[in-house]
Amino acid sequence: MKVAPVLKGGLRIDVESAMDWMVLRCIPYDARAGGLDLADRVSAPMDGDEGIGDWREFVLPDLRDGFNAQLAAIEAAVDAAGDEDGPGQVFILKEDAELWYGGLNQARLALEERYDLSNAVLAEMTPGKRSAWFRSQFYLHVQSLLLDHVMR
Amino acid sequence: MSDTLTQLRESVSLDVPWNVIVHDDPVNLMGYVTWVLMKIFGYPENRAAAMMMEVHKRGRSVVWSGEREKAEFYAQQLQAHQLKTSLEKAE
Repeated sequence: MKVAPVLKGGLRIDVESAMDWMVLRCIPYDARAGGLDLADRVSAPMDGDEGIGDWREFVLPDLRDGFNAQLAAIEAAVDAAGDEDGPGQVFILKEDAELWYGGLNQARLALEERYDLSNAVLAEMTPGKRSAWFRSQFYLHVQSLLLDHVMR
Repeated sequence: MSDTLTQLRESVSLDVPWNVIVHDDPVNLMGYVTWVLMKIFGYPENRAAAMMMEVHKRGRSVVWSGEREKAEFYAQQLQAHQLKTSLEKAE
């Protein structure tokens, strides 16, 4: 798989194998696995606030909708790019960069919560954890490209 | 005939400013936190980067202070960008 900026301002992902497609399809899967409630997580420091009841009632549902929309859009973009396992291309348009960044962040966050990857030693990882580590590194790489070449 | 005594009680409360606080989260890239602060508050890059470094080194940074309603708006924006955020009364 190759990921590179394009002249129009977005990114192009060249998908070369069935494994590459699987990694891309894992983005929403990883983000949803484990049942992490990201809206709850980002608002957790507000727990002592006098308005936390209203916040939970009115703000958190909107946050959840926004986070779910990011994953749904990524899912749709990957599905639309090709339903076969051969070579293909996925384009991340400039206007979709934030959405992709957010979805990748959700996936990385969920993997970190599930596997504690930042404190793990690669040589001692189980195959499942190692696979998660490589996916997390790939997500991080795409996020860095988005941030450095598209969003700024 | 009875007289009605009306008591007026005046309550004066000072409009205490509220702080919007961003908390550290190791998953977020430092460049992203800077970018979000620039985008939401319109801060220049050096100011946003200084706040990001404070978050990174001290675990939290006050990124804005002002009236409660606007503080809530900013907190919601920051949380929508997946930054851990809280509100507190300014001292």
